[in-house]
Amino acid sequence: MPIEIPKDKWTGSIRAVTIGATSAEGGTRAKSITVGGQTSMPYLHYEAPMPNKPVIAIEIKSRKPDDWSPLLADAWGEAMADPAQWAKKAEEAGADLIVVALTLADSPEDAVRVIKSVLSGTGLPLIVWGPGQAEKDNELLVPISEATKGEKIVLGICEDKNYRTIVATAMANGHLVQARTPMDVNLSKQLNILISDMGMSKDRILMDPTTGALGYGIEYGYSVMERLRLAALQGDAMTQLPMIVTPGFEAWKTKESKVGEGVPEGWGDWKARAINWETLTAIALVESGADVVVLRHPESVKRVKSAIEELVAV
Amino acid sequence: MYIIGENIHIISEKVKEALTNRDREFFMDLAVKQVEAGAKAVDINLGPRKKDFAEVWPWIIETIETVVDVPLSIDTTNVEGMEAALKTIKKAQPILNSTSAEQERLEKIPLLAKKYGAKVIALTMRSEGIPVEADARVTIAVEALIPRMMEIDLPMENLIIDPLVLTVSGCQQYCPHLIETVRTLQYAWDPAPNISVGLSNVSNAVPNENRPLINRVYLAMLMGVGLQMMIANPFDKEQNDVIRWIETKDTSKPLAKVYNKIAERIAAGEEPQLEDFDLKDADQSAIWKTTQILLNKVIYADSYLLN
Repeated sequence: MPIEIPKDKWTGSIRAVTIGATSAEGGTRAKSITVGGQTSMPYLHYEAPMPNKPVIAIEIKSRKPDDWSPLLADAWGEAMADPAQWAKKAEEAGADLIVVALTLADSPEDAVRVIKSVLSGTGLPLIVWGPGQAEKDNELLVPISEATKGEKIVLGICEDKNYRTIVATAMANGHLVQARTPMDVNLSKQLNILISDMGMSKDRILMDPTTGALGYGIEYGYSVMERLRLAALQGDAMTQLPMIVTPGFEAWKTKESKVGEGVPEGWGDWKARAINWETLTAIALVESGADVVVLRHPESVKRVKSAIEELVAV
Repeated sequence: MYIIGENIHIISEKVKEALTNRDREFFMDLAVKQVEAGAKAVDINLGPRKKDFAEVWPWIIETIETVVDVPLSIDTTNVEGMEAALKTIKKAQPILNSTSAEQERLEKIPLLAKKYGAKVIALTMRSEGIPVEADARVTIAVEALIPRMMEIDLPMENLIIDPLVLTVSGCQQYCPHLIETVRTLQYAWDPAPNISVGLSNVSNAVPNENRPLINRVYLAMLMGVGLQMMIANPFDKEQNDVIRWIETKDTSKPLAKVYNKIAERIAAGEEPQLEDFDLKDADQSAIWKTTQILLNKVIYADSYLLN
């Protein structure tokens, strides 16, 4: 008996957001990356084709991190001390985008120098995060924004306590912003409203609904993302933005990834476990509709990439 | 609309201060003004008063009954406090606010109502919490609250079911369910039980400037499904306008027409439609957006009116 698969017909769609600008577009990137544009829930190819597949960003730091797992240090080696080298290796490892996370130790001059060196070390579009303290974020992101005018970098991370300065400088210099809220659909939408109320085009916002790692609240993150995506497809303009999430950051702070000793033997090989943790966290989020996942280990990147290829194959 | 005036509430700093000073004038004035503004009963919420209930309740009842004749609603979780108040009341039939389907409360409070001939507000809530689904709330009324009143022979007209309004900011999915609960409860028993809601709960945790609008739009929806009683602020003039417009089917002004249309749509089991509103009018556009968040069509955000 032939079975007819019921199809949803949505009135809304996700905005297509382009990150990075080539020389023809006023920047220096080898290519730009477009995410979003969906008109149905993730990977329901029989309802609508997926216009842009999810992409992987690899997170690097402006200076060698001393609190990252030795497993990550093994993977990246000497390159970790040189952001331009690190970015190059990340590109070779399959990254579509590079996240450069600045630190509290960076001066504005350091930060601008690092970003410029990364721009020359890789042709990929960039996402730049401040160290996460409002004043310092603004102190570093404004000069970077000005020094890289037109590159269409994603500047972040905007939060409800600190978004005005970042949004203003992004608007003035042709960049984008990442808008993060603690796992809550109402707060997520609120920040999008506040940012677009400043005059920021909705084609230049990535929303970051925050998530947890596998075993550490990922199900909350998953349902918030699903709810946001359903609202967007139902026509809620303030939720129709592509989503960026940080499974690398989340997974590498769990005990399962961080600790190699003093854990039950049944947990098995440390490296295998840590990479599984990051990979599974990322894939679950990709399946819930993430458009950009930020990862840390090159092996996880390889695996998530292959999972994405399978998901987007019609 | 039978409004139980909500303004004597310990959450207000003025009430707190007046109570500390045992300021009779303050309470007499606030009770009289609420009744003059249209309140048919006056709610009194002074907190649990674990230590001084035996003194505070007789004092406040005597004070307020000096100036008004309407029923007083004894709003406390303290059962001993309730009884202290009931013993003092001399004028109208009092209202106990409230019991729920939690075993201990449902055991004791209806018995108090019976003993003193009071009405009792019963919340559709069990010890496990408040169910989202309309059906589950009706089930609590039909399987726990009503049977308990029958068991002790409390006349059905003395039961007031409160199906629990929750805030659109954080419990948005409950808002449309509550409307359906109010609709269904009226058919849950014969005679139909009285229903009352705490209207302004719908805008808890919402920025103050948006609260009255959300309350009014929700009120129009609830009046559409037959709500006739609520605990509310009787001084809210615009809210009183909405009540009057809908009760008298007054559509002479554009806003009166819009609120009537919302009530009609909800009454018919429909949703308000874009065509019901003149979106060029800022007030009507705000009302339309408010209907959309209250029906859980669009995700609530504090700045939803900018959306």
